[in-house]
Amino acid sequence: MAILNPILSKRWENFKKIRRGYYSLIILIVTYLVALGAELWVNNKPLVVYYQGTYYYPVFFFYSGETFGEDYIAEAQYKEIRDRPAFKDNPDNVMLFPFIPYGYNESDDNLNASPPTVPDSRHWLGTDDRGRDLLTRLIYGYRVSLSFALVVLVLSTIVGVAIGAVQGYCAGVLDLICQRVIEVVSALPFLYLLILLASIFDPSITLLVIIFCAFRWIGLSYFMRAEFLRGRKIEYVEAARSIGVSRVGIMARHILPNTITPIITLAPFSVAASIGLLSSLDFLGFGVPAPTASWGEILSQAHANLTSYHLSVFPLICLFITLLLVSFVGEAVREAFDPKAYFRYKG
Amino acid sequence: MNAYFIRRLFLMLPTLWGITLVTFFIVQILPGGPVEQALSALRFGGGEMAEGGASASAAKIEEEYVEALKKHYGFDKPLPVRYYNWLKDLLVLDFGESYYYEEPVIDVIVERFPVSIIFGIASLLITYLICVPLGIIKALRHQRFFDYASSLVIFAGYSIPGFALLILLIVLFCGGSYYDIFPMQGLTSENFSELSFFGKIADLFMHMLLPLTAYVIGMFAFTTMLMKNSLIEQITADYVRTAYAKGLSGKIVIVKHALRNALIPIATGFSEFVSFFFAGSILIEKISGLDGFGALGYESLLNRDYPVALGIIVITSVTVMVGNILSDFAYTVIDPRIDFK
Repeated sequence: MAILNPILSKRWENFKKIRRGYYSLIILIVTYLVALGAELWVNNKPLVVYYQGTYYYPVFFFYSGETFGEDYIAEAQYKEIRDRPAFKDNPDNVMLFPFIPYGYNESDDNLNASPPTVPDSRHWLGTDDRGRDLLTRLIYGYRVSLSFALVVLVLSTIVGVAIGAVQGYCAGVLDLICQRVIEVVSALPFLYLLILLASIFDPSITLLVIIFCAFRWIGLSYFMRAEFLRGRKIEYVEAARSIGVSRVGIMARHILPNTITPIITLAPFSVAASIGLLSSLDFLGFGVPAPTASWGEILSQAHANLTSYHLSVFPLICLFITLLLVSFVGEAVREAFDPKAYFRYKG
Repeated sequence: MNAYFIRRLFLMLPTLWGITLVTFFIVQILPGGPVEQALSALRFGGGEMAEGGASASAAKIEEEYVEALKKHYGFDKPLPVRYYNWLKDLLVLDFGESYYYEEPVIDVIVERFPVSIIFGIASLLITYLICVPLGIIKALRHQRFFDYASSLVIFAGYSIPGFALLILLIVLFCGGSYYDIFPMQGLTSENFSELSFFGKIADLFMHMLLPLTAYVIGMFAFTTMLMKNSLIEQITADYVRTAYAKGLSGKIVIVKHALRNALIPIATGFSEFVSFFFAGSILIEKISGLDGFGALGYESLLNRDYPVALGIIVITSVTVMVGNILSDFAYTVIDPRIDFK
């Protein structure tokens, strides 16, 4: 933590002492990293294939069907190949599948009932209405949710900081105009506009990120504006100005480092809000485009298949635990940055 | 002070104008409007007719039809003129006529009031009857067993999206595969008009309990924590220590000194009641088949029923802004030290 200035590293120490939040953060980071590598342990492509004396690594490389003696040049259908006599009859041929051998968009054709099927030994959490493994879709959905929330967080933070900084530092007429614009944007019904735009343009994650960012920078910009309004009058800023440091230089080098508190304390709440909102949109069908795995999409299937309890219980648990961990982190961050004296009522 | 709030009310006007400008142009520029919808319905329905040699005259008929449609929906005039006309009517609270229901927008909206009012009143009651007492107890039992135990509920409230909870409740209690206690959809049963007065209330209760639970769960957590933190802040304040120091009992200090100040942020939330009236929740109303404000807004967007959609956006924005001003006003009434000047 040598790169941090003394105040920040003190706060990081504070944060580490709040164990609930610290462990929540560790769990989130570890599970996210594990989910980022989901192709390695949840996949319908084998990790290693040993076929006619050669090793193949389908997770990392593309092999056409012809490679394995099939008559198509599209990507090899490994599960079909595995069951062919030509492959099975040679005991040297081996296919090693990942821990959970299903793809997030792979329909299981060999179910013993019509999908959605309830949990069994083959699909531990059951399947969805297209016979896709639910656990697989939940894992990939976790990756989508968190990645989306993090991208929105980074972009909307950049926008919020930039606009708030310019407003606060330049003040005056520019500030007044920006405030009016912000008032208009924040009074617009966000969800309505999201649905309207998402129902008109072709669904894509990029579009969702743009729409989310268009609204989500506002909360942070209020804080940044206040910090910069305060910061521009502090002596060392005046000093920097008197020796001719440029405006951008003053804002970035002298004021910004002291405004880190709102940026960090608001971040977990932004992540939680993005995850919740994305699942609402996915539920309505205006979220990430099919067949991307998403928790909201599973919940909309649950609404259509009320007899299949697993479709509502498992995504709900996933949402609950993820948001709970994020809000534990948020609570701990806030406490670390704004320590209140120990309090206990003695009455 | 009154001058300040009158100025605030006037400052609402440019903001409101900005909102109408932005939403009107977004809505009108986007493709898929009523003319295009009617046209695609015509093409889809009359596809067989247009086949063969009559395509030239069919194209001409279609062209005339488009012109008639445009005139009917007012799309024959240029965009700024349409905006001007719409704004002019808006000033006398005329929101135009719904494309979809073909009746005045204001009637369509008023029809949806009952559900929204029930949601509004219920959230108000829950806030004051449950959240405030619970928050107080949590503050007094800070970091003791009751606080930790009730925190579980609070964190669940924070972390479970209401609509997801509603789906689970429906699966569990509405005859999916477990219990069949509550009706799944709608506001009332079919035989509602035949029921006695109490029968009606019971019927409404059974229909509304699950959606209301899902609706208030997030707010419940928020208000309880607000109450708790607010009271804790007051208890640690100097004047409370002074009150203890002069020998008052714990009960009197809390009730007469700390609590009165701690209630300020909650009491000012009362004005948000105005916006709860219109808030609704798109997802919850959609899942439970309730015809409230949220569901109306959602349908109007999907049907491209722009007069209704615009009407809802304008009404919602106005209530939010008025609510904000009222809440600031309530602050100054309750706590004379606060001055916005």
